Amino acid sequence: MTDMAYIRWFDGVRAADRPTVGGKCASLGELISAGIPVPPGFAVTVDAFGPGLHDAVAALPPADAAALVRATPVPATVAAAVRAAYADLCRREGGADVAVAVRSSAVAEDGEAASFAGQQETYLWTVGADDVVARVRDCWASLYTPQAVAYRSRLPADPAAEATRIAVGVQVMVDATVSGVAFTVSPRTGDRSVVAVNASWGLGQAVVSGEVTPDEYWLSKVGPTLTAGRIAHKTRECRPAPGGRGVVTVDVPAERRDVAALDDERIRALAALAMRIEEHYGCPQDIEWALDASGRLLILQSRPETTWRKTRAARPVAGSAFLDLVHKVGVRG
Amino acid sequence: MTIAEPASAPTGPRFPDPYDIETPPGAEGWEEMYPYYNRFLPSRREHDAHRTWFRNSMHFPEPMPPFDIVTSDSAFMSVGVMNSRVFALPPALGLDVRVLNGYVYMSSNGVEDPAEIGRRAEEFGARAGHYYQNWPDLYAAWETKVRAQIAALVAIEIPVLGDLEPRERVLAGRGIASSNDLLVAYQGILASLDAAWNLHSELLNLGYAAYLNFLMLCKGHFPEITDQAVAKMVSGVDVLLFRPDDELKKLAALGIELGIADRLIAGADLDALRADDAGRRWLAACDESAEPWFHFSNGNGFYHHHRSWSDDMSFPLAMIGEYAQRLRAGEDLSRPLAAVSAERDAVVARYRALIDTDEGRQAFDEALGLSRVVFPYVENHNFFIEHWYMTVFWNKMRSLGSLFVEHGFFDAVDDLFFLRRAEIGDALVDLQMAWCAGGRPHGPDHWPAIVRRRRRIHAALARWTPPPALGPAPGRIVEPMTIMLWGITDEQVAGWLATAEDGAGAVRTLRGFAGSPGVVEGRARVVLRPADLSTVEDGEILVAPITSPSWTPVFARIKGAVSDIGGIMCHAAIVSREYGLPSVVGTGTGTTTIRTGQLIRVDGDTGAVTLLDD
Repeated sequence: MTDMAYIRWFDGVRAADRPTVGGKCASLGELISAGIPVPPGFAVTVDAFGPGLHDAVAALPPADAAALVRATPVPATVAAAVRAAYADLCRREGGADVAVAVRSSAVAEDGEAASFAGQQETYLWTVGADDVVARVRDCWASLYTPQAVAYRSRLPADPAAEATRIAVGVQVMVDATVSGVAFTVSPRTGDRSVVAVNASWGLGQAVVSGEVTPDEYWLSKVGPTLTAGRIAHKTRECRPAPGGRGVVTVDVPAERRDVAALDDERIRALAALAMRIEEHYGCPQDIEWALDASGRLLILQSRPETTWRKTRAARPVAGSAFLDLVHKVGVRG
Repeated sequence: MTIAEPASAPTGPRFPDPYDIETPPGAEGWEEMYPYYNRFLPSRREHDAHRTWFRNSMHFPEPMPPFDIVTSDSAFMSVGVMNSRVFALPPALGLDVRVLNGYVYMSSNGVEDPAEIGRRAEEFGARAGHYYQNWPDLYAAWETKVRAQIAALVAIEIPVLGDLEPRERVLAGRGIASSNDLLVAYQGILASLDAAWNLHSELLNLGYAAYLNFLMLCKGHFPEITDQAVAKMVSGVDVLLFRPDDELKKLAALGIELGIADRLIAGADLDALRADDAGRRWLAACDESAEPWFHFSNGNGFYHHHRSWSDDMSFPLAMIGEYAQRLRAGEDLSRPLAAVSAERDAVVARYRALIDTDEGRQAFDEALGLSRVVFPYVENHNFFIEHWYMTVFWNKMRSLGSLFVEHGFFDAVDDLFFLRRAEIGDALVDLQMAWCAGGRPHGPDHWPAIVRRRRRIHAALARWTPPPALGPAPGRIVEPMTIMLWGITDEQVAGWLATAEDGAGAVRTLRGFAGSPGVVEGRARVVLRPADLSTVEDGEILVAPITSPSWTPVFARIKGAVSDIGGIMCHAAIVSREYGLPSVVGTGTGTTTIRTGQLIRVDGDTGAVTLLDD
């Protein structure tokens, strides 16, 4: 018998559901509610990573904990729920064995305090119910990678405990021809009137892992208007592996290496989309996006941009004593 | 304004020493064309060689004819006196001026002593505060004063020195003879020029300072904001500099309405138009537009040879024909004022919303409000002084020139401008004395040879390329007014120094200011003087020393613009933005590096001009 309490569809969750579905899935639900194009999917809730297993691994050294999680079968009720939800997702997408991305969604992830970026695993191009269930379990296990443990060890006790609460997102895979990152604040100066976009061929992993230097576009939010761009020499791209399971990194054909990955119109459309997301959240965002084979822009993730938040507030206005005087006598006589 | 911090060390990088600059071939004796107080005197070498001098190529791109130096004198005097003695700007006095090989250089005087700055700040607060608080009233009064100056200048009469004084004057017991009127007229013209330039500068730096306050506030919040975006938030939608062009469009439309469009398109023959009713009605409308809107200089108004539309109607008439053709083809020539205004509001709203705190938004609103209060003057003063007043001024001087021609002093009216201001005073006394004595003046035996020699020297000076700066390299350029008005930045200085060191290497990229966004490639058309504007063909990129707003109609033909001179608020930038044309301003050497016909790329986003072929 299946218990669908472990499953929450993205379009039914909001930011407030973070304790149940984790930061990433809560954010995706929030984006969908704001009318942002996001690939559909569902969350396997925090409760699915059952208290029994959770407590059993808590005291173990990391390597043993990860091994135990991988060796322990996913509880039958959870597995059944995931299979049922996956079948439902395939039905909605109108195909059998739809490729999905299985992504960790930690409760503390993408929170206000720290980004947790890249601390948990994502499995791209996962196909079939068996693999989806197995990858859900792998996401749980990724809580115990040495780097995740090390990251938590630097946190105070309560956030560290919260950081072990993990949900898993199962999301329809975007067959990305181009992907990248968009910032709604200048990573150079913290200028909030700027949108910065990185773009490269294929899946976003090549950009995120630093394997390629992506194209760079700078826009002013007024318009938005493209103010600067630099087309990079893009040698590698991440693509679905032959057979459609997993991904491989391959050479970019010579004729595409020095070509702009996005045209001006799409860059502007992407910036406008990024600005809508920022407006929805009320603070600068760090956004992962992809362009699918049909030319549609999709948002894969959005989280608050944390680097500039504190420094900007304290930045003095670059005036001079003379201009301060002009302001004073000009405005107040 | 203080242009820069003092040079770090006397042994640091240097621009050429003004005392080491050689006279260009053929220009020997150029010094006699300028008064002693404008020259680098050998006796002042110790003092003058140790200062940094920047070339003022923005206002004085060409070598100065001897009389025309009065515009430099007046302009610098008036800006200086407003800063130093009228409004007591705390950190800045005026600028000293030198002429070298005919070109104008300037060096700023600053205030260093903190106690003195404090004392001046108090005075400035009281004086500038009054102006800012009462700006609209003072600006309205300013316009009245300027119109009165122009009317008074128009009213100055150059007397006829006839055979006998008119009998009625004698019978009226006047006592004072026409020769005295001549002296009074010349002195009146000079005094009027001085007064007009005082008025020009009365509101100038207060206006720019208010704008700059907003600009720097925006840059504090948005370090990457472009100067163009800031200008867009402040700019008025209805600026006087567009008015003359609008009048041409109006006259084109009237021509169509009156059924004489074909004649306007074919090239209006004014005499033929006078022959029939429709033509006369159109000419009456044209006369109405002309006063004052066609007192619109083809240059910047600082030179006697920068003639205006009202002096030579061929350019405006050609444009009227072109507009008539385009109107008939169904084109809408009106400027989309409502859209421009809506866009301006949207830009302001966007930036304002990105400021986090209430205090931040309040300061933004205040600074923007103040900028908008002062901006009508900033945008419009130019038409009143540089265009309207100066057109009348040069023509009044020409009336004096005609009198001299009549008495044999010169071959041509404009020869007058090859005498210095004081020499004209001498010539005038010569003429007075001879006329009074019933004798023959010395002038006809004295001046023609001098004028011929000076014309040759002037032509030789025009072929020379003046260095952008002289003397020790400045320390860091810290003063925002300098950067905004003169386009002098650390990067610009470094570029000049590098060029000075490299010598004449093959330049492929010129750097200037991003005047108006966009990127365009095309063939260059180098236009050195307004008379050559008619050579500009559709789709070319205009390359000019400076573009005057009266060149506006030609912007309808070109794809982009490059200027030697000018910052973000210069006319080329303003007009380019209005026309949506990519432009790079303040390249320094565009006209000397780029050739007509050369393929170039103008990047108005980054301020670069790239030469794409030889």
